[in-house]
Amino acid sequence: MMKILAAGVVPLLLVLHWKPGAGSPLPINPVNATCNTHHPCPSNLMSQIRSQLAQLNGTANALFILYYTAQGEPFPNNLDKLCGPNVTDFPPFHANGTEKVRLVELYRIVAYLGTALGNITRDQKTLNPTAHSLHSKLNATADTLRGLLSNVLCRLCSKYHVAHVDVAYGPDTSGKDVFQKKKLGCQLLGKYKQVMAVLAQAF
Amino acid sequence: MWMSKTWLVQAFFIFITTESIGKLLDPCGHISPESPVIQLGSNFTAVCVLKEKCMDNFHVNANYIVWKINHFTVPKEQYAILNRTASSVTFTNITALSVQLTCNILTFGQIEQNVYGITVISGLPPEKPKNLNCIVYEGKKMMCQWDPGRETYLETNFTLKSEWATEKFADCQTKRATPTTCIVDYSPVYFVNIEVWVEAENALGKVSSNHINFDPVDKVKPSPPRNLSVSNSEELSSILKLSWINPNIKSVIRLKYNIQYRIKDASTWNQIPPEDTSTTRSSFTVQDLQPFTEYVFRMRCMKEDGKGFWSDWSEEASGITYEDRPSKAPSFWYKIDPSHTNGYRSVQLIWKTLSPFETNGRILDYEVTLTRWKSRLQNYTVNDTKLTVNLTNDRYIATLTARNLVGKSDPSVLTIPACDFQATRPVMDLKAFPKDNKLWVEWTAPNESVRKYILEWCVLSDKLPCILDWQQEDGTTHRTYLRGNLVESKCYLITVTPVYADGPGRPESIKAYLKQAPPSQGPMVRTKKVGKNEAVLEWDQLPVDVQNGFIRNYTIFYKTIIGNETAVNVDSSHTEYTLSSLTSDTLYMVRMVAYTDEGGKDGPEFTFTTPKFAQGEIEAIVVPVCLAILFTTLLGVLFCFNKRDLIKKHIWPNVPDPSKSHIAQWSPPTPPRHNFNSKDQMYSDGNFTDVSVVEIEPNDKKPLPDDLKSLDLFRKEKSGTEGHSSGIGGSSCMSSSRPSISSGDENESAQNTSSTVQYSTVVHSGYRHQVPSVQVFSRSESTQPLLDSEERPEDLQLIDNVDSGDNILPRQQYFKQNCSQQETSPDISQFERSKPASAVSEEDFVRHRQQQISDMVQSSGSGQLKGFQEVSAADAFGPGVEGQGERFETVGVAAVIDEGMPKSYLPQTVRQGGYVPQ
Repeated sequence: MMKILAAGVVPLLLVLHWKPGAGSPLPINPVNATCNTHHPCPSNLMSQIRSQLAQLNGTANALFILYYTAQGEPFPNNLDKLCGPNVTDFPPFHANGTEKVRLVELYRIVAYLGTALGNITRDQKTLNPTAHSLHSKLNATADTLRGLLSNVLCRLCSKYHVAHVDVAYGPDTSGKDVFQKKKLGCQLLGKYKQVMAVLAQAF
Repeated sequence: MWMSKTWLVQAFFIFITTESIGKLLDPCGHISPESPVIQLGSNFTAVCVLKEKCMDNFHVNANYIVWKINHFTVPKEQYAILNRTASSVTFTNITALSVQLTCNILTFGQIEQNVYGITVISGLPPEKPKNLNCIVYEGKKMMCQWDPGRETYLETNFTLKSEWATEKFADCQTKRATPTTCIVDYSPVYFVNIEVWVEAENALGKVSSNHINFDPVDKVKPSPPRNLSVSNSEELSSILKLSWINPNIKSVIRLKYNIQYRIKDASTWNQIPPEDTSTTRSSFTVQDLQPFTEYVFRMRCMKEDGKGFWSDWSEEASGITYEDRPSKAPSFWYKIDPSHTNGYRSVQLIWKTLSPFETNGRILDYEVTLTRWKSRLQNYTVNDTKLTVNLTNDRYIATLTARNLVGKSDPSVLTIPACDFQATRPVMDLKAFPKDNKLWVEWTAPNESVRKYILEWCVLSDKLPCILDWQQEDGTTHRTYLRGNLVESKCYLITVTPVYADGPGRPESIKAYLKQAPPSQGPMVRTKKVGKNEAVLEWDQLPVDVQNGFIRNYTIFYKTIIGNETAVNVDSSHTEYTLSSLTSDTLYMVRMVAYTDEGGKDGPEFTFTTPKFAQGEIEAIVVPVCLAILFTTLLGVLFCFNKRDLIKKHIWPNVPDPSKSHIAQWSPPTPPRHNFNSKDQMYSDGNFTDVSVVEIEPNDKKPLPDDLKSLDLFRKEKSGTEGHSSGIGGSSCMSSSRPSISSGDENESAQNTSSTVQYSTVVHSGYRHQVPSVQVFSRSESTQPLLDSEERPEDLQLIDNVDSGDNILPRQQYFKQNCSQQETSPDISQFERSKPASAVSEEDFVRHRQQQISDMVQSSGSGQLKGFQEVSAADAFGPGVEGQGERFETVGVAAVIDEGMPKSYLPQTVRQGGYVPQ
């Protein structure tokens, strides 16, 4: 009973209500469960998902630039070394998969990125408290990711009756030094930019 | 340390106080419910429960409970005793919003004591909020608003609730100042549907609005485009290119735009067709603009699909299109100085500056060329808008072009005709009328082709000269308005001149007003002629400066002081009017009002008085009356003349002529003349003493021919005693006293008057030359005729006939002299009226005449003449000089015969020999 609870409702709630730094990666174990939404999903849900992906893709590069610029040297001049999209355990995505598969994989990616952006935002408020533009951009991206996650879940739930998806979260940076925090953040945003371009094309 | 002690004291005090109040304020009962909130119009029941302790102390039970609401006792009918300790009260249809309800007891049966009190609050449950809608300002949080519904009279909370399909958001609590709007505290997330509703709640209930579900991106109000800029193109003078920066939301949604523009000084905006700006962009080229014109632009945007809200307008940006050559030839006209000198005439060429829409740039100068037939060109470059040249009397062709940085305008060609040119072919049916605050001119074009029309106008004034303004219209125009600074209430003289290829046509003129007004002054009316029953009024036409419009008609108001005012309308072409049916000899007040289409103005009041009589009326009355009087007088005179004998008989008493009396016939013959002197001597002054004079009123100065004849006859016979008439003779024929002499014709009158005439009896002396011892004048009381001869006028007539041949002339002379004397000396007539000697016997007049002659020899002068006249008149009654004795003797004999007993007679005027000729 506890296992079901841990594998179903709690991760879902955590995903929907994550805050920067909340929780830790959970095993991915999607199961067929009863979906309970507050109100019916809109008919143009996939269109909204595409629009959200396009919105995220359209702002990803600006966010990446803003981030490494805000970190200062050596990041702007060493992007390949410091900000390469070398993120371990990043959820995979198969663009040629079915819509359901793609939506499930999208769900994992968005959940992963949401948690990671939460950690980055938390770190940047400490490391660069005056970088308000970066903070605002990070918050706006995180909000959009929340909305995307809601839409994907609503789609999975309403159309594919998928009420639960196991998700994995990025590395916890709370115990790392400043440079590592900046570096991990820059690498994540690099990966974010890269994957968003793929996702925007995939839907 | 000190602070801690103070705190302890305060805590102790509060504790003690709280404990004391808890015991002191322990109520005797309570009301249930404690704090009721009820719905307006509903029923409410409250129960008061007494404590046993109080019931024992005050010896009361539930029957002693008295309910009060807002300090007024509730009727017992609303009470209900539930048990020994509880009483309830019920209210139906409560309408008050807040009432104080108290439970009281009557202690000891009569002392009312409050037990408990509550406040009952009434109100309404909230209505379902309506018209919920939300808006997402770009970059800001979502705001929703709704209609709260009816007033609840209670504190009502509105809560905006929102959720995704998978997530709920925190409630949005309204602020007290804005209970119908709420701004959520989370950033909107686009492309995720959110469901929103409002819950209204108060003490009486809770209600939710309808849920609305939307994508926040469809409720966006974008920020306006920014950094709008305008640039022109040297290649195309009719375009301007706009550029701007889109709002940030453009990265999320596609936009469409509204672009508006206007000429800088214009107030209305033109809009680019929406279909041209329905896609996302950051620049736009506006075409079909006027060259060298400054335009102002603004724009806004919204979501391309039309969902959401338009952004606010962007800041305005302006730009000027590039120059182009003038698009139109300037208006071109001329004026000729009428004075000719040496075969030349001074011609002033005038033209109008082009409007900014026509110049297409900055005008650098104007080029004027003048061409005479088979002559070389004369070129002028002018910066002004007029050029004065001296031309011969020949025909000229003038051209005008305006030049700017890009090029020249088309030439404006004008033919200046030769001096002997006769203008013909005017426009027809010229009209001018105001419309839409403009003065329009309309005409019918002549049959021939007109190159253009020239409209000239000026203000007509009695004080100011006519300063012409003008404008040019195309040859196809037949209706336009005057494009000048026209003012209202001014009379404009408008002239339209068609211009043909060979020169101008004959001008036609018309007067018009932009807007009429009542005249500034009224006409001053005055009278031209005033008759008994009519008056001709006249006035001058109002000066054009005060007319303020076309004088349509006049109204004349006239009245008397007490009468009603009468109005008469008069056509405006008249300058005089005749008021008829007026009352004579009456003061009239008249004033006059001149009317334009917009009203009237009255002039000063004028008064006049109609005469009592019409002209010539007096003459028409007086002349006939005078003529009638004159005619009547003439008739009277003629009548009197014809009937003089009859009249005389009625006027003068019939005085018997003593000479014709029987006594005279039988009396001894008159002593011869040569004895006269002896008689004179015999009857000298001393002998003829007293004379009785009877004064009579003369009522007619007519001569008495018969009497005079008789007198004359008598005088002839008594020539020796001439100059003395005797006192009898002094009694006028008009006297009531019977004189001693009388004509025979007056026999009847004598008889008629015999009753009133008292005969004088003169006892002069003794009979036949016997001198009586005493001269006695005796008054006879007899009414009988003195003599028989008086009753036989034929005897007198006989005597008259005898003497008539000798005595006609002297008698006539006498009358003549007498009349002349009356005429030359009015005093004489006056005297004669007071002294009835004028009508006395002829004898007196003879004496009078003789005395005049004698005195004229002795003295002269009017004063003497007057004194003489007086004396002579008196002399007529005075003692005679010669012949008197004989005469009086004769009379005295007659008196003795008539009166056997002479009576004493007191003369009215007695002059004891009192006459001394001067």
